[in-house]
Amino acid sequence: MNKALKNPTVFILFLLPGLILFFMFFIYPIFSSIYYSFTSWNGVSSTVKYVGFNNYEKALGQERFWISVRNNGFFILFSCFIQVPLIVFFSLLIANVKRLKGLYKTTVFLPSIMSTAVIGILWGFIYEPDIGLLNKIFGIFGIDKIYWLSDEKFAMLSILVTNAWQWTGFYIVMVLAAILSIPKELDEAAAIDGATGFQRATKITLPLITPIISVVIMLSIAGAMKAADIILVMTKGGPAGSTEVMATYMIKYAITNFKYGFGNTIAVLIFIFTLIITVVYQLLIARRNERIEY
Amino acid sequence: MARLRKGFPHIFLMGYLLVILFPFLFVVFSSLKKDNNEIALHPFGLPKEFAFNNYVEAWVNAKISTYFVNSLYISILSAVVSILIGAMFAFAVTRMRHGKWNTIFFSLILVGMLIPNNALMLPIYTLVRKMHILNTHLALIIPYIANAIPFTIIILAAFMRSLPVEIEEAAVIDGLRSPGIFARIVVPLTVPAMVTVFIINFLGNWNEFLLANYFLSDDNLRTLPVGMVQFRDQYQINYAQMSAGIVYSVLPVLIMYAILQEKIIEGVTAGGVKG
Amino acid sequence: MKKSLVLLLSLMMVSTTLLTACGGKDESEKAPTTPSTETPTKVDDSPFELTLRHTQVGADKAKRLAILQDVVKATQEENKGLTIKLDGVESDVNRKEKLRGEMAAGNPPDIFDLFGSPDSKVYAKEGKLLDLTPILSELGLSDKFSSLAPFTYEGKIYGLPVGGSAEGIFYNKEYFTQKGLKVPTNWAEFEDLLAKIKADGKTPFAAASKAGWVPLMLANHLWSRYAGSDVTEKFATGKAKWSDPNVVKGFAKYAEWEKKGYFKKGELGFEYAEYTTQFTSGEVPLLYDGTWKSSVFKKGQSGEKLIGKVGFFNLPAVDGGEGDQTALMRDVNNGYGFSASVASDPKKLAAVKSFIKHYFSEDMVLRGLTEDGVLPAMKIDDAKLTEATKSDALLQDIVSVLNSSKSSFPAFDSLVQGPVTTEISNIQIQKLIGGQTTPEKMGEELQKVQEEANADNE
Repeated sequence: MNKALKNPTVFILFLLPGLILFFMFFIYPIFSSIYYSFTSWNGVSSTVKYVGFNNYEKALGQERFWISVRNNGFFILFSCFIQVPLIVFFSLLIANVKRLKGLYKTTVFLPSIMSTAVIGILWGFIYEPDIGLLNKIFGIFGIDKIYWLSDEKFAMLSILVTNAWQWTGFYIVMVLAAILSIPKELDEAAAIDGATGFQRATKITLPLITPIISVVIMLSIAGAMKAADIILVMTKGGPAGSTEVMATYMIKYAITNFKYGFGNTIAVLIFIFTLIITVVYQLLIARRNERIEY
Repeated sequence: MARLRKGFPHIFLMGYLLVILFPFLFVVFSSLKKDNNEIALHPFGLPKEFAFNNYVEAWVNAKISTYFVNSLYISILSAVVSILIGAMFAFAVTRMRHGKWNTIFFSLILVGMLIPNNALMLPIYTLVRKMHILNTHLALIIPYIANAIPFTIIILAAFMRSLPVEIEEAAVIDGLRSPGIFARIVVPLTVPAMVTVFIINFLGNWNEFLLANYFLSDDNLRTLPVGMVQFRDQYQINYAQMSAGIVYSVLPVLIMYAILQEKIIEGVTAGGVKG
Repeated sequence: MKKSLVLLLSLMMVSTTLLTACGGKDESEKAPTTPSTETPTKVDDSPFELTLRHTQVGADKAKRLAILQDVVKATQEENKGLTIKLDGVESDVNRKEKLRGEMAAGNPPDIFDLFGSPDSKVYAKEGKLLDLTPILSELGLSDKFSSLAPFTYEGKIYGLPVGGSAEGIFYNKEYFTQKGLKVPTNWAEFEDLLAKIKADGKTPFAAASKAGWVPLMLANHLWSRYAGSDVTEKFATGKAKWSDPNVVKGFAKYAEWEKKGYFKKGELGFEYAEYTTQFTSGEVPLLYDGTWKSSVFKKGQSGEKLIGKVGFFNLPAVDGGEGDQTALMRDVNNGYGFSASVASDPKKLAAVKSFIKHYFSEDMVLRGLTEDGVLPAMKIDDAKLTEATKSDALLQDIVSVLNSSKSSFPAFDSLVQGPVTTEISNIQIQKLIGGQTTPEKMGEELQKVQEEANADNE
């Protein structure tokens, strides 16, 4: 019987389409990026000049690059310290209500299936200074017009809020599933022992859902490093480059500015940074929670 | 008192629902207003007279139908092909007997999940250009297929692994070869996992913006997200019409969600966890 | 089980047919680029296609699009089997993203909107553009253009300007009469005017600075007034510096007006489309923009309400400014270029020739001026010109501003390198507007980028 499932030709034929695409769109691009990151090439010309580590020195020595790194950092910090507590809070609330559970779950999840581009347009309208929703609401309370997307003090925050609006519900549903999969008996036993709702939440539920929270943080970090479309749609990196992230910075250089080689340097740096953050996070925090599935 | 305590979480949750839903309502209200001025004067609630012409004009100006069809067929086609290729691969590494090779190929694909794909945009751009498919739909379809492959393989492989060995043993006795086992035994059993993967792949492709923005330049080829952004840039001065455009682009997703919500939630969260 | 299999198989069928369909389409698109060598001698009216990338998108450019469409129609009638496929892309996106990408990929459209300097030189150097020199002499157009300099590289012509433009200040005449305001003739009067408008509770200038080039139109004019109209071209050679005190004076003036609230608030979040609306809605009485904007104040356009109520004046002379104080930004930088690949296909080449013949004719140029406010880039008989502008007060204003200005300068982005343009439009001017930098610091930082770019060149 083993013969049928051991046919090497079939084995290779089954693997081949996947492998070809994988090499073309994952392996080759990495090496290509690394190669071009050491060159000065405008993307049009037929001559590609090797420049050693010049591009790297230039990037790392540029204030603007570090601003974009910082903005990626804001994404990560915002999701860890503001989004995650909210996620846990609302998941616990939803898990503990008896009625309307389905409605809450369905509604909070809604924004995460929408296109980021469309959400960017929608929120751009909400932030519009003269007729946008937010200033109208603030106006009721007598607060002066705020120029959300055009004021450097608010632009990045506005984007982070939009991003959180889109993704919080998604993570809530994930955490909710973890909470609901906790055996009821545990909770009931604690209730009989006289533990309050708050005590049960912090002493029983929370420890049991730490693995999934760790996954949420990991996913937020991955999402933060990828962020680009929301910025392109909402501010294009402005005002004055204050909302640029690494990915948009890369695009700006490579395509808009005829600096393909330098753009690839940024790409490699994104890759390295992501790797470092992932590894550090895995070593520090996620390790002990490894392989827990709910 | 007890009732009050019970109502307490609902107050917070209703507040949250309001935050989610009010922006959508605001857009719907605005789309029915005559112009920016009316939006500015009466931002909340419905207008006295409905201005439906925004919908007519947005439909014509924003070419929603073209973009919609493009997005739909690109997303479906890419998602289906990824599943096909991914299923073959997953079958080979989980059900065929090639010892360490199975593990080697499977781990190779696992590495793919770690790569931040946005960073690879430039080389993929050059690649697509060398293939002479830039500015055709293939410039999106092929990268979309490739992008989804690691994830598809991982989910499908996990599922296929859980199938009992006995079923193929029976099939082999019946005289089936491996392609037959794949097509007639394993694939039908894997359909539930495939549906999940399809939903995730489909939504990913449907919403993709970066490649679609930079790899296509012909207006008639554009996908919905890119088309909408371009529409916004041209008609930003007319928010009422722009709101109608937003409604058009959100509606199909909403309908799909209303019908398939359980399946979608299950699929997308599964995708998130495993990814 | 069987049912699912059927489903899967049919999906496979569908996907393969779709895939081959796409493949097929791709080939048919490529086919025309390889010359049909089989029957070169026969007059062959088999269908072929030219793609034309234009930037006449949006309501304000409808007139220009109509002119283009007429030219396309005439060209199609003259060439049997030809279909010209129009592809409209927003101007800045085409220039900075689409066309660049396509050039790099080697598949630009056959005919495309091309920015003269420096873009056409970069492309010409790489052999991406069709050399138009022989076509022009064949059509007798060689000395019909007022200037082809921005499109010339090593003595050959690679693009044709569709028109010229100048930049100055549009003003709301109705508001001026209501408030008893006058067009300023010197700097003091101008400052006084701005202060009066502000005191009246209005914001003087329209502003929409999400894209940096919009505020830079006025800023460019200001530093050229203070430091001389030829200062910008000296940056690339190192003969002048962005940090020179006179250039910085220009930035400082801009910053001062920002501080006084002379520009529409929240400008960094507005797109160019909104710039015009602020003026046409009567919200602001002054609009610094190019002469192309005059087309908006025509029937059926967004500025219809203001027909006959808009005037145009030049930025007054500043006290103690260097050089000619009547100088205007004028350029003939917007035009059409053609893909080098057209040369290998006789049918396409013929079609391109007839496109040029129809587009760059006196009729179309005059139509462009009267219908659309595009200043002629070709030499036109004076009598015809006066005749054409007779009924349009705004055009007369514009022509008189042009006549009274003694010299002109090109826009800065055609004179400095790409990275400098990016730095000033994406960063520095927005920082200045947002009050995040000082004029002095702005000059220094620009100079740093300028020097890097200058060193990079060689």
